[in-house]
Amino acid sequence: MSQEMLLRVNDIDVFYGSLQVLWDISLVVNKGEYVAVIGANGSGKSTLFGAILGEVHPAKGSIGFKGKDITGLTPFQIVGLGISLVPEGRRLFPDMTVLENLIIGSYTRKARSRREESLGRVYKLFPRLEERKKQLAKTLSGGERQMLAIGRGLMSNPTLLIIDELSLGLSPIAINDIYESLKQIRGEVTILLVEQNVQRSLKEADRAYVMEAGHIVLSGKVENLREEERIRKAYFGVKN
Amino acid sequence: MTLELLTDLATPITRGILLGGLYVVIALGLSLVFGVMKLINVAHGDLVIFSSYFAFFAMTSLGVDPILSLGMSMPIMFGIGFAIQKYILNRSFRVSMDASLIVCFGISLILENVYQIIWTPLSRGLTTGYALKSFAVGAVNIPLVYLLDFIAGLAVMFFLREFLGRTYMGKAIKAASQDHRAAILMGINTERIYGFAFGLAMAFAAVGGVCLGLTFPFTPTSGPQFLIIAMGVVILGGLGSMLGTFIGGMIFGLAQCVGGYFFGVAAQMLVAYVLVFIILAAIPRGLFGR
Repeated sequence: MSQEMLLRVNDIDVFYGSLQVLWDISLVVNKGEYVAVIGANGSGKSTLFGAILGEVHPAKGSIGFKGKDITGLTPFQIVGLGISLVPEGRRLFPDMTVLENLIIGSYTRKARSRREESLGRVYKLFPRLEERKKQLAKTLSGGERQMLAIGRGLMSNPTLLIIDELSLGLSPIAINDIYESLKQIRGEVTILLVEQNVQRSLKEADRAYVMEAGHIVLSGKVENLREEERIRKAYFGVKN
Repeated sequence: MTLELLTDLATPITRGILLGGLYVVIALGLSLVFGVMKLINVAHGDLVIFSSYFAFFAMTSLGVDPILSLGMSMPIMFGIGFAIQKYILNRSFRVSMDASLIVCFGISLILENVYQIIWTPLSRGLTTGYALKSFAVGAVNIPLVYLLDFIAGLAVMFFLREFLGRTYMGKAIKAASQDHRAAILMGINTERIYGFAFGLAMAFAAVGGVCLGLTFPFTPTSGPQFLIIAMGVVILGGLGSMLGTFIGGMIFGLAQCVGGYFFGVAAQMLVAYVLVFIILAAIPRGLFGR
């Protein structure tokens, strides 16, 4: 492969207490790529992201970012290295304004000096956020909340932006808007995306991984995956 | 100076509002720790009294004025608070919230006993020249230290508001109190933020301790008494509302002083607590609660 490897998850197992939730997970994201992880509820996608961010530590295997081993680092160290996670459920700061939410997104030392520049970029991407910058986050609509969550994630100038459950709970129009905006930042930022909306992610992404019950069961380029019988059966309701 | 002799309600009302400033200072420290860490720091009152004794020591042994002693005690107490959080509470948080509460009870007991050993159970006061002075505005007679209490309350509230609103550290404290996991995902080292918040609460406790010692006599076991007042003030104003805490402090001071005017000094705390009870029965979230 000629591309530069950005994130490498190498054969990890993750436990919650004595309960194993991930088995032998390996995943690679190259610089500039747009990668989707798909799978049903409870298949371990969020846990995988928790492990990448250092919220849970794998019992086996390693995680590398920009060629550096980040297994065992704390979340704030990992965020500082350039990974940003837009969590499931957005997790905005409800009693802070839109602007304050964005500013706190640029908390890391490196991001602070480039705050105004990042802010301009986010406002250009989501003009709605600039219109509403003085509103409290809890007063936003679902689509605007997701825009703010993504904008806040971009404020740290990440090399890798991970978005957990992008379209969950959003209207089709809001989902479209956000996917259109993401197209604008493709190439600038590497994107790793989790979706339950399989059709959509297989349309937008370059490559995808399919998770089932804590295992990766399939992976490859999206055009190949679209033809896979397993996916067609499981997610598109195609009967043979 | 007995309240029964006062013929005019203007005096207890003014005094109550001014005294409220002292309760605001103590309550803001308590509510900062509660807001960020969801921990009821039951040792807060005893830590306030630490500052009272520190000022007493500085005054009697070093000849330093209690207010000037804040120059030493605020950084010292910030450091103690940061250390308590970093070395004890951050570890107990990993076990459970109950463990942290028990740790705070432990700190409270240890401090009270250390005070007894060092300073004996006798009542002490920061009796400086100005502590007993009062001035008259028309018919209203105001002790100078009550005015100091009020100024301290205002100063601490404005400082805290500006700090939380303007600095990255302050915003991080606010963020961690609203959504702990999201704060971590912003790259915030929440354990460090906790240490800083506890340190800040202790620096406020230092201010509160000096005001308290100038206003009232104190003993090694005075802490819990003021802890309970501070809790009443925080709950009355509504959890998480700084303005609520400020108004709550004023109401508590007013109830105490005006209650004392009508029912005698012995009943003044009873009046204050009955009022808290009535307000909470009517508005369970507190005056400015969310």
